[in-house]
Amino acid sequence: MDESRPIFVQIAEQIENDIISGALAEESQVPSTNEFAAFYRINPATAGKGVNLLVDNGILYKKRGIGMFVTAGAQQRLRGERKDRFADEYLSPLIEEAAKLGITSDELIALIRKGDGK
Amino acid sequence: MTTISTPHASNRAIAVTRLHVVNTWSVFALPAIIMGVILVANIAIWALIFANTPAADQGDVREGLQYSGAASYIFVYMAIVAIQSTAVTFPYALGFGVTRRAYAAGSALAYLGLAVVYTIALTVLGFIEELTHGWGFGGRMFTAIYFGGDSWYVRSFVYFAFLLFFFFAGAMFGAVYVRWRATGIVGAFAVIILALIGLAAILGLLVGWEPVFGALDDLSDIGTVSLLFIPTAIAAAVSFLVLRRATIRN
Amino acid sequence: MSAVIEVSNLTKRFGRFTAVDDATFTVAENSITGLLGRNGAGKTTLMQLITAQQFATSGTIDVFGSTPVENAQVLQNICFIRESQRYPDEFRPKHVFRSAPWFFPNWDADFAARLVDDFRLPLNRRIKKMSRGQVSAVGVIVGLASRAPLTFFDEPYLGLDAVARQIFYDRLLEDYAEHPRTIVLSTHLIDEVANLLEHVIVIDGGRIVVNSDAESLRGSAVTVSGPAAAVDAFAAGREALGTERIGGLATATLASASAKDRADAAASGLELGPVSLQQLIIRLTTSEGATS
Repeated sequence: MDESRPIFVQIAEQIENDIISGALAEESQVPSTNEFAAFYRINPATAGKGVNLLVDNGILYKKRGIGMFVTAGAQQRLRGERKDRFADEYLSPLIEEAAKLGITSDELIALIRKGDGK
Repeated sequence: MTTISTPHASNRAIAVTRLHVVNTWSVFALPAIIMGVILVANIAIWALIFANTPAADQGDVREGLQYSGAASYIFVYMAIVAIQSTAVTFPYALGFGVTRRAYAAGSALAYLGLAVVYTIALTVLGFIEELTHGWGFGGRMFTAIYFGGDSWYVRSFVYFAFLLFFFFAGAMFGAVYVRWRATGIVGAFAVIILALIGLAAILGLLVGWEPVFGALDDLSDIGTVSLLFIPTAIAAAVSFLVLRRATIRN
Repeated sequence: MSAVIEVSNLTKRFGRFTAVDDATFTVAENSITGLLGRNGAGKTTLMQLITAQQFATSGTIDVFGSTPVENAQVLQNICFIRESQRYPDEFRPKHVFRSAPWFFPNWDADFAARLVDDFRLPLNRRIKKMSRGQVSAVGVIVGLASRAPLTFFDEPYLGLDAVARQIFYDRLLEDYAEHPRTIVLSTHLIDEVANLLEHVIVIDGGRIVVNSDAESLRGSAVTVSGPAAAVDAFAAGREALGTERIGGLATATLASASAKDRADAAASGLELGPVSLQQLIIRLTTSEGATS
């Protein structure tokens, strides 16, 4: 658990990660709030907040009396959202750090190609 | 779901009563064992005495043995039980959500019950003593003259009155200790001694001593011992008043 | 969510010493609240006042809607487990667990039995002869198995080793999820329980210095590090809780930082770092110049 961000946000992100990676398949049931709370060792209310965040965003939906399920198409949607944020979250810091160290764009691209070919 | 339950208030008092006796070892077994040891020691001593007394004097010895104070240990023990029990079960019960009123009521019931149980036990032992003619040696422990001589119901009454008094006296000191600790105990002794002196002085000055002793003489054994209920009641009332504002120290 | 505990201008004085100073707060139903603060700050006294074990000097306390003092209706729904819990002489754990159901209508004997196994408690050993950890375990088990609608844990896990503490937190969470109730936990080991808490109340020198939900507190503070001059310039005009210096570098802890603040700091070449709940509370209770 990261100190600087609200726990419920981190819970939501963790669930999203699992959906993107396919660990949580679409239309499959996700663990209950209490199970998440016990697993992450956090307060059930906090776990609930994280789950509700995803329900509000349409990533999860509730089947009354049964539990929470992953919405169809959630994986695609999340991938798309993450792609949009990729530039800001990963690229900008990368470019900034490179600039600090005096690495030119060409050197950067060469490094990326090398890393990818591994 | 949160269930706010409201069981009957008397249940809590009974819970406190049970708390005082839940540990049967220190309340029943241990005193019984000590009593047994004292009895056996006494019997051994009587055996020795009689073995060394010429037959002619044995009647005198028997008469002397009437004055045995051996059984009085049980009263002091009960006072100590009451002091300790109060000192320890009060914080414990308070932590379990018991009101001080319920605690006082439950404790009083416990002491009453224990007094009855021990009275019965002592009465039975007295019977055995009589039937065995003093445990085979003409010794007297439970039928000592202090307990009112020969009639068993007088003896029972005396046991009960003494037990009750010592229980509540102990409870009172226990309550004082809980509220004011050692300072309180010292203070309590001081107050009691002063009160007794004061009472004696007042009686002496207002009424004179002879009428008092005369009145006491006129009372039967049962009557005299019944007077003990007055300080018992006072001790019980004081215990409650002291506990009402008692708190638990850290 | 209704309030289970409502405290208003509560003050408690012992002679000239003020243990609780004009405290006002509420505790919501079915929540886990952390009551945090240094030794001697007033945590235990506060809990004793709420459970009517101590009498207030002034102010009001309402528990379940009415005053708790000598109020059986209120008190029988409360379980208060303290660190220095003392047991009647010669008591063994089995006596404790035998007598507990008489006082707690919601007592769950099966749960208690499972906890006894979890903590490996010797049921038949005299409590006087048990290790500190084992004595603490007895209290913890009573607190959990009582399922009292309002349960106080006053640092009862001191003496428990790290493994046992983890067991306690896990069982607490598990049972709280299945059987919601109101729990108030006081502790020094803030980081260990930080994720369990929904609400945080910090008391320092008898005064309430923090009263907020845990989520808002978490992540509210930041550390700003870099060249001392830049850090000082950035911290000027902002609420700084403390600054450490070494050589030409400095790290300042700020009580709050908006997104813009963070961006500004980054732009100035300063490093931002997180502040854990424990570090934040340490800052808050030492920077006040604790009056004890």
